[in-house]
Amino acid sequence: MSEVDMAVTKPEMMKSYIWLQTADGSIQQVEQEVAMFCPMICHEVIQKGMGSSKNYAISLPQRVNPAMLSLILDYCRFHQVPGRSNKERKSFDEKFIRMDTKRLCELTSAADSLQLKPLVDLTSRALARIIEGKSPEEIREIFHLPDDLTEEEKLEPLKNTTDDPRIRLLNRLYAKKRKELKERQKLKNVEVEEERVDDRSVDDLLSFINGDGGDSKGIKTSKSKKKNRRRKDQQKSTSTNDAFKNHNKELYGLNSVCCSAEAGQRSWASVGASSNLHDVEDDIFASKSELDDGDIDDEIDPALKEKIDREVEDFARRLNSDWPERMQEILSFGHERKPVHFSLNGNGSLRRYANSEQR
Amino acid sequence: MDFTRILPEECLCLIISFTSPADACRSAVVCPALRSAVDSDGVWEKFLPCDYKSIILDSSSPASLLSMEKKELYFRLFCHSILIQNGTMSFQLEKGSGKKCYMLGARALSIIWGDTPDYWTWTSQPDSRFPEVAVLKLVWWLEVKGRIETRLLSSNTNYAAYIVFKLRNRRTTGFKHRPVGLNVNVDGVVPGEGRRVLLDPQDEPRHVREREDGWTEVEMGEFLNECGDDGTVEFSLKEIDTNYIKRGLIIEGIELRPKGIGSKVNNGHQCP
Repeated sequence: MSEVDMAVTKPEMMKSYIWLQTADGSIQQVEQEVAMFCPMICHEVIQKGMGSSKNYAISLPQRVNPAMLSLILDYCRFHQVPGRSNKERKSFDEKFIRMDTKRLCELTSAADSLQLKPLVDLTSRALARIIEGKSPEEIREIFHLPDDLTEEEKLEPLKNTTDDPRIRLLNRLYAKKRKELKERQKLKNVEVEEERVDDRSVDDLLSFINGDGGDSKGIKTSKSKKKNRRRKDQQKSTSTNDAFKNHNKELYGLNSVCCSAEAGQRSWASVGASSNLHDVEDDIFASKSELDDGDIDDEIDPALKEKIDREVEDFARRLNSDWPERMQEILSFGHERKPVHFSLNGNGSLRRYANSEQR
Repeated sequence: MDFTRILPEECLCLIISFTSPADACRSAVVCPALRSAVDSDGVWEKFLPCDYKSIILDSSSPASLLSMEKKELYFRLFCHSILIQNGTMSFQLEKGSGKKCYMLGARALSIIWGDTPDYWTWTSQPDSRFPEVAVLKLVWWLEVKGRIETRLLSSNTNYAAYIVFKLRNRRTTGFKHRPVGLNVNVDGVVPGEGRRVLLDPQDEPRHVREREDGWTEVEMGEFLNECGDDGTVEFSLKEIDTNYIKRGLIIEGIELRPKGIGSKVNNGHQCP
């Protein structure tokens, strides 16, 4: 190369560029140190040797359109300079994210696809601030989301009805605790006590299935109701029982029975539990006000009602089949006890028969 | 624009995890994509205190708690307390803010003369969360102390300590019209004067509060926990005028919970 050539090419050689191609086909070149700030681009260059020329431009993920790319590169250009103070960076960030919600979402998506975590965090926090404190309706408006949860699904999180394994777990914990207390008090008539413990748990379980506690507005199954009334008469109320019932009432708040008795519904008591646990926080969860405005009964048609009735019975049956194992567990928790086998027959009364080899 | 179509679920989870449990619950009823994001463990793990695993391992049933989904675990701790440290302490998330609450059971406190059956007895009561509570038979020197390390508490939180007790209706003497000394002391800080409060609810209804669990509480004092590196905080209840006998006090423990944030939350704006 002659000296003249060298002089001409030198300035270009001082800076290296990376070639990037967005999904729409347009190609641009970007200063190397800026582009390399993105882990995804870095990876492409180092691992695959791409980006060194126009023909080998790095294909960016589809989520990165030219507008977003430009924003991201602005971000990188600022932050890749090592000498900046934290204050400067923070100030830049605050100004940087001032944009409309739609762009924020697109930017989050683009940054995520380029694995640029600091920017993802920044934009996510901004979006979080937008969501905070808003009612579900407002959130839908802001993000133009369709209101496509069924009425059932909307109500369900409020009531947490029958989330099978969770109810069992809670009951187990309560039953265990009661058992512990009773043991410490040195019961004389062990078997009677056990029966009472069992009754209460089942009853509590059934009672909130039926939306007991005076709050039930919706679907009732007459069978279960009868079980309840009979049980209630037999029961003595102890403070733990009351506490548990009250807790259940709170937890499974705006009871109308299992709108979806499908076990494994992962939406839990979240909204419902918390909305009814905090004494004054009911107003926080706008979903509750949605319920208050509407009338649950009116919204559920007979066909659905039937379906729900069937699901309640199904649940009760499933519960019954699990009962013996649970009883074993509770019993084996104690000391020397004659192992007994409890069974719940169809109309719900507790029957007990001895089975000596069960353990 | 439906942002749930633009953003992958991990991003939605990340965004929700920057909000609060209340916001997460609200988001769950917005649309199916958000509901699915809200249900994820990642979101609720962020809401749980960062040392939740070690706290649970110390409890009476760690296996069942650890096997729960994080969302369920969060609400389990939110709704109920769990017993830790061999049944001598309890842990819970405070209802308003999700911050850590502890209660030191009577067995975790140091009660002067507590081991002498003539003066104090230990019984179990069905309405107590702990296996045992301390029942005062009679004593002249009444002194009950507790302490906790500040690193266990939530940082940047103002805590108040409450003595949780009952006064038996009959055979209670020494508390009517007679105050006891209550004090809260943070390590390394010049000790304050403490306060003298009447425990009998008939004497001074404003300081004595009925709790939901049937016990009574009186505030002992408050302190600000910044980073949790202030060593230990000590609490004491003292009435050592030996001219008169004290009888009939039942102590469940000392509860620590955030104060100032309050259990009544204003429309869902959560403090971190």
